[in-house]
Amino acid sequence: MFCCAALIGVWQWRAREGALNAFLYGSPAEIGTALMTTIETGAIWTDLTTTALETMAGFTLGNVIGTTLGLALWYSRFVSRVLQPFILALGSIPIIALAPITIIWFGTGFASKVAMSTLSVVVVSIIIAYKGALGVDPDQINLMLSLRARRSQIFRLLVIPASMTDIFAGLKLTVGFALLGAIVGEFMSSTKGLGHEIFKSGSLYAISAVFAELIITVALALALSGIITRVERRLLPWRHDLS
Amino acid sequence: MGETLEIIRSISFSLARGEIVSLVGPSGCGKTTLLNLLCRLIEPSQGSVKWHGNEVGGVPPGVGYMLQKDLLLPWRTAIQNVMLGLQVKGGSRAEHRARASELLDRLGLGGFTDHFPSTLSGGMRQRVALARTLAPDPDVLLFDEPFSALDFQTKILIERDTLRLIRELRRSLLLITHDVEEAVCLSDRVIVLSHRPCMIVAEHRIDMDGDRDNLIALRETKGFAHYVRRIWAELDIR
Repeated sequence: MFCCAALIGVWQWRAREGALNAFLYGSPAEIGTALMTTIETGAIWTDLTTTALETMAGFTLGNVIGTTLGLALWYSRFVSRVLQPFILALGSIPIIALAPITIIWFGTGFASKVAMSTLSVVVVSIIIAYKGALGVDPDQINLMLSLRARRSQIFRLLVIPASMTDIFAGLKLTVGFALLGAIVGEFMSSTKGLGHEIFKSGSLYAISAVFAELIITVALALALSGIITRVERRLLPWRHDLS
Repeated sequence: MGETLEIIRSISFSLARGEIVSLVGPSGCGKTTLLNLLCRLIEPSQGSVKWHGNEVGGVPPGVGYMLQKDLLLPWRTAIQNVMLGLQVKGGSRAEHRARASELLDRLGLGGFTDHFPSTLSGGMRQRVALARTLAPDPDVLLFDEPFSALDFQTKILIERDTLRLIRELRRSLLLITHDVEEAVCLSDRVIVLSHRPCMIVAEHRIDMDGDRDNLIALRETKGFAHYVRRIWAELDIR
């Protein structure tokens, strides 16, 4: 906290002295003004809500698909064998390389950003859920077997709840990926959104505005992961280490 | 690597209703493998496992299985953990709850039914695990050193309560252990196993006077030291 304040102080001081080119590097005071203006005029709200909605939609879609597939990989050896090469292939593609295709398929509006966001979430989500399911203690599975539990019962009573800790860790991790996907999508083609504004301000060398929009983006990311932490605490009351 | 080890050769023993039998053997002799074979959690590479003279496909019914690890599910409260086996069997939830609650009461955990395992002590957790094992009312209990991780004091108390309950319910217990004193203290019969390949070396019927519930006094009883010394010799620990 102190370091951060000191850094901002030095930055402001050097920028004011002219030792640091405020045109290229911005200055804290200007960034503050830019931030206040965007908030006061309300211009940023459309962008913020657009990006937030894209991110949340991509996050939800990606995690629902990813977690379902990841757990299904445990359940069915067949699914696992069929899907594994695809997962590896998809996981190794830089997400931005998929942007042209998503624009062609889903257009330049909301849907293509959600698609980008989903794509950047889904692979990580699959792998985390699968790892969580594979991480179940084999002795615990033996215990269920000794109780003559069927595979479906082992899945429902043991594997799914046991994977929850990992799945929630995945949710926290993929919030950032969902936002990344949405912003990359906006960079490619868009008319609104935080990514759009950052790209536009950057092109215009409005460095202070870029910083102001970055701060809002970070705030969005923090707010979203804060929500997930709350939900986790609510849903996993047995995890005393969380509170 | 890749070499196969002969772990268990032919082993056959009986377990009467209400009888408590211990299997002792040097560590690494395949005791746990034997137990897993008995519950059919693993398949024998050769030969067969017979229950009541018949081969069973899959896990035999009426078997309760308990390990050193309590294996409580951390997201379930004590009572929900006890209900696990009943839930797998199916039936009314209210009945399950009543049965689980009764067992927890009898094991002295009446006040902890809604606690999560993470808030219970090691001994309490193992008691919950015992209640979970007993809840589906198994005929045969297979215990793989369930008390060996507990401190001596806790262990003596939980062993006493376990034995009392099992004798009262007239259940058969097969206890695997490497602790000779524990085996002699708790069992009606002790079977001594050899190094790999695991075979039966000797069998002792334990006849001791005195209160079988008093596990401390039992160690002073005439005959106790005699059994322990003989079994030690037979174990041939190098």
